[in-house]
Amino acid sequence: MAGEAEPLVHVEGFSMAFGKQTIIDDLSFDIHRGETFGFLGSNGCGKTTTIRALLGIYRPTGGVLHINGKPFKPEDGEKLGYLPEERGLYKKESVIDVMVYFGRLKGFSHQAAHDWSLAYLERLDLGDKAKMRLDKLSSGQQQKVQLGVTVMNSPELLILDEPTKGFDPVNRRLLMEIIEEQKQSGATVMMVTHQMEEVERLCDRVLFLKGGQAEAYGTIDEVQDQYGVQIIRLKYSGVIPASQNYVISRQQNNYAELTINEGADQSMILRDLVASGLQIREFSAGKLSLDDIFIGIYGDQEEEKNGGSA
Amino acid sequence: MARHNLRTVVEFEVRRTLTKRRFWILTLIVPVAIGIVFGLMYISNSSTSTSLNSQKSAKFSFSYTDASGQVDEALVSQIGGVKAADANQAIANVKAGKLNAYFAYPANPIKQIIQVYALNTGIFENGKYGSVATQILKLSAQQKIGSPELAALAQGQVKVVTTTFKDGKQTGGFNGLIPPLFFLLIFYVVIILLGNQMLGSTLEEKENRVTEMILTTVNATTLIVGKIISLFIIGLVQIVVFVLPIVVGFLFFRSSLNLPNFDLSTLVFDPLRMIVGALLLLGGFTLFTGTLVAIGAAMPTAKEAGIFFGVLMTLIFIPFYIVSLIVSDPNALIVKLFTYFPFSAPITAMLRNAFGSLTLWNASLVIAELFILGFMVLRMAVRIFQYGSIEYSKKLSIKSILGAAKL
Repeated sequence: MAGEAEPLVHVEGFSMAFGKQTIIDDLSFDIHRGETFGFLGSNGCGKTTTIRALLGIYRPTGGVLHINGKPFKPEDGEKLGYLPEERGLYKKESVIDVMVYFGRLKGFSHQAAHDWSLAYLERLDLGDKAKMRLDKLSSGQQQKVQLGVTVMNSPELLILDEPTKGFDPVNRRLLMEIIEEQKQSGATVMMVTHQMEEVERLCDRVLFLKGGQAEAYGTIDEVQDQYGVQIIRLKYSGVIPASQNYVISRQQNNYAELTINEGADQSMILRDLVASGLQIREFSAGKLSLDDIFIGIYGDQEEEKNGGSA
Repeated sequence: MARHNLRTVVEFEVRRTLTKRRFWILTLIVPVAIGIVFGLMYISNSSTSTSLNSQKSAKFSFSYTDASGQVDEALVSQIGGVKAADANQAIANVKAGKLNAYFAYPANPIKQIIQVYALNTGIFENGKYGSVATQILKLSAQQKIGSPELAALAQGQVKVVTTTFKDGKQTGGFNGLIPPLFFLLIFYVVIILLGNQMLGSTLEEKENRVTEMILTTVNATTLIVGKIISLFIIGLVQIVVFVLPIVVGFLFFRSSLNLPNFDLSTLVFDPLRMIVGALLLLGGFTLFTGTLVAIGAAMPTAKEAGIFFGVLMTLIFIPFYIVSLIVSDPNALIVKLFTYFPFSAPITAMLRNAFGSLTLWNASLVIAELFILGFMVLRMAVRIFQYGSIEYSKKLSIKSILGAAKL
């Protein structure tokens, strides 16, 4: 029986190798109940492999992967909602048949699954599409159906692997609303995404995965502190002088971001800039954004450009 | 939960197949074709029967010459025939339409041909001349023998029933051979009808990218077993649809369709051979199903999987190349090899079982081999499905397949 303090997801010493290629090497992390967890990393770093091992699709080479204190098995009746990166449904079947099928597999009665599905489709303006074949729907409409199948059992754990991939802005907003609803109703969310602004908006804690290991792990503040480099955001007129105290990390239309070098601080830089005759209209200092941290961690990786996840 | 999910999978798979128009179009092609053949047979037999009846009752004038001396003149005159004095004149009369027919019986009717010259009355009607000419000779012979029974005996018209014994017990003979062969027939029908569907059953999840969503909702073994059960149910539906017109034809139109009258009560059911046959069928089904599911899970598309399906089909037909050896020399090396090689074993062993050359020890060995290997392959198929199906567009290498089996 899982205790209150026990994490919903517990991964310890997890390793995964395919042949001689090690994908994950001694990875450990926890996801607490009710939190939204960002599982982050570049393409091919092992995020999807970790999720598949957590959900029992792959057998780990080593370590422990537990949900609710035990390895996940679909037949145990855990309330899981999983939206994989590679997703699809039975395209030659009708929308309602597929939703009812998944509903029944998730423990609903036929009637309950049917009623829930119709209500969901009505809510998303797809009520008239219930009896249509899935492949007759647009890709956006199919994604809405997939999302419905994912959340129909009010999951205790919602795993979303690149949930906004391929979504247009309208569907993206809808997805965010539904994630928010699930959070409000107490769901724990594990989310894989490359959209750092989504992470900053939704996630309580994050893990950056690199080389099969946790590169950074903790709350967003903790990770930003871990990458303790401060950044100065500047609106100005004139020319920013070169200095040993900072590096110009971004510069566009009289806006610049300066990364503070070791040994320097913001007052020293402000003094330098004023002394150079630069007209400063706005000056603020802050932590690195997750986007900056992401680029800092993975910017040098060749695979970042190539795409494809492991 | 597992049982509930198994039922849900079976219901979903069966219902979605049986509600497809394409399934019924393909399934109904066979009974419709059988119905058309039966219809044609019915029409053809009716017209033939009508012709024969009209022939029997038809009266026509004829003359004959008899070099053999076997024709009974009194008999011929009773049915209106007259002896011709001159063959050429008789032929001329036929040509002139003065006479319907002239029969020329040769000196030795057994070795020589009876010549019939007659007026053309159509392709069906013309048959009556030859029939009458033959019948005259037959009845004349009977008259000479003096009794129809003796005549029948002379023609070898007798029935023989052979009862054989082995180890002091009566054996089934030919009638004992047929029942165990039903298992062979079922095996072929099931594999040929369902093989492609077995192959494609997991491909659909792969091609539609459903695998991950379904595998985290239902246990992989439950899903695969559910699919196999549903395929079996669908196969039974197809068999019923195929067999129904044959049964209806046999029960209600047997004589019209000229179907042979099988006396099922003469079949001999040897319990041991029937049990062995059933176990060989189940074991073979398990092995072939597991293999087909594994191939489907390992291949990215139905087209690529189809190549391997062809190989498996070849393997189940190969034993028929040595069927004469299986019957006449079951101890031949090649027969032994085919008996124990897993993919030729079901057919070879079922044939040997029917012909009575599969000892209990051999049968036990083959059944054990089929079930053990079948379950191993099925287990591996489940693992390959779990691992291989999410390599959506990739074909698994042998190394990956073995790796998946270990994973």
